[in-house]
Amino acid sequence: MAAPATDWGWATDFEDVRGEVAICGIGEADHSKASGRTTKEIVGQAVERALADAGLEPTDVDGLMYIPLPEQFDVAAFHEHFGTSHDMWESRAGGGMRWAATAPYEAARALRDGAAHTILNTFGVAWATQRSQMVAGPGESHAHEGFKQNLEIPFGWFPQPVYFATVARRHMHEFGTTQEQLGAVATACRRHANLTPGAVMHDRPLTMEQYLASPPIVAPFRKEDCCLISDGGAAYLMTTTDRARDLRTPLVEVAGVGLGNSVTGTHWAEQPAFTSTPQVFAAPAAFRMAGIAPSDVDVYTCYDPFTIHTIMQIEDSGFCDKGAGGAFVAGDTLHFDSGKLPTNTHGGLLSHAYVLGIAHVVEVVRQLRGEAAAQVPDATFGVYGGYTGPQAATLVLRRG
Amino acid sequence: MRPDFPLPDTTWEPTREFWAGAARHEVRIPRCDQCGRSCWYPRERCRFCEGTSFQWVTMSGRGTLFSWVVVTHAFLPQFADLVPFVPALVALDDDPAVRLATRVVDCDVDTLTFEMPLQVTFQPITFDGVDGQVTAPLFAPA
Repeated sequence: MAAPATDWGWATDFEDVRGEVAICGIGEADHSKASGRTTKEIVGQAVERALADAGLEPTDVDGLMYIPLPEQFDVAAFHEHFGTSHDMWESRAGGGMRWAATAPYEAARALRDGAAHTILNTFGVAWATQRSQMVAGPGESHAHEGFKQNLEIPFGWFPQPVYFATVARRHMHEFGTTQEQLGAVATACRRHANLTPGAVMHDRPLTMEQYLASPPIVAPFRKEDCCLISDGGAAYLMTTTDRARDLRTPLVEVAGVGLGNSVTGTHWAEQPAFTSTPQVFAAPAAFRMAGIAPSDVDVYTCYDPFTIHTIMQIEDSGFCDKGAGGAFVAGDTLHFDSGKLPTNTHGGLLSHAYVLGIAHVVEVVRQLRGEAAAQVPDATFGVYGGYTGPQAATLVLRRG
Repeated sequence: MRPDFPLPDTTWEPTREFWAGAARHEVRIPRCDQCGRSCWYPRERCRFCEGTSFQWVTMSGRGTLFSWVVVTHAFLPQFADLVPFVPALVALDDDPAVRLATRVVDCDVDTLTFEMPLQVTFQPITFDGVDGQVTAPLFAPA
């Protein structure tokens, strides 16, 4: 059972969109360390592959979703890439993180209204390339925020690895979570990446012994508790379930979506439930829409910038009791072939690619089609848990 | 970015009194006039009752260790001289719902324990390659 809703957040009230939308095409760009590519080149490649997967032409796409971060793939970029000029419905409520989970909800409403018929959601980053040029990265947006500049950064409580190592240590104190349990998350992800062609850490095994022997960088975190910084991106295409039945790809439909919100934003020192995520609010809403229980989920992916996020979201989504997540993930629970809850079966942000969750959705679709590299047998329900700090979202997908 | 980053901007209005208090060796926290609760961080509206007027109050300077980390990798080049250091959240005795981000100093990190009593110590903070210093509320074992 998930922790009860408290005074620190709430679930956004969503209309029921169960069964209305299908994900009919998926594509990933090449994921890599610093590559010299631009974000638009990366996303363009992912979009080409999603179109090829669906058997659609660029002119078939009449809706485009992205997040308004620099250099994302907007309508102008789409037309420049494909040499097209047709009218497109556009939404900035797309991209990765929690939006990779809620984009299908926004798409459902646009499909209902007839605003668009085939909608593309994309996200990409060139942060590995840009980091070497010292111009961008995940800490950048946080460094410009007033409360962080004046109440956190002067004390060295910055950036994300420091915040979440603080959360992890408190979780260890409150619930008895151990270093080995964090390591179980890191090693499961690495094993999945080792099986997944295209994962950035594909050729780099990681044993528990190696994990424990790795020096802490911000104790209790080792490097292996922290996500990659990589260049890459992904895209997925959405249309009505009826139209998707006529396309070449196996049917994967959206069964439920939920969005949870925290009152404290990205200032985790303020969050009363310090060791929880807004999945506490999001996941029950998504499961209710889908008409399933957490125990019905065959494959799970979650936004995993740090190992502790997998443990917290598993708890907060109701896969186990609050506080039992460490014991739950120990051993082979997360493994694709033998685990009770196969999780981040492509390797996650930790070992596959740091493309902020959109590749997690692609992976769930692959699993439900039976096309994944580390395939879970006979997967019917797959879930993506998206996280953005102040918000978390849950997307339930079902094999048609 | 300001040239003195990552020093605080002691003139930034929402936290100006916090840093002015630190210069006087006082921990200053806003209290909501309507519900009487401490409101941290200092926002325009009280998180508990939506109140919009506050009085800044001097706290005792005693607290307990809520959580901490040991930073051994300098995530910013300006942190290079600090490493290793111990960023922490400290729950204030006057209202444990107030957690200050701070650093624990003058201690053996192996002896730190959850909820251990701490006492504020006002010390100048400086950063590698950055001119100037600011007096900041750090914490040490009580």
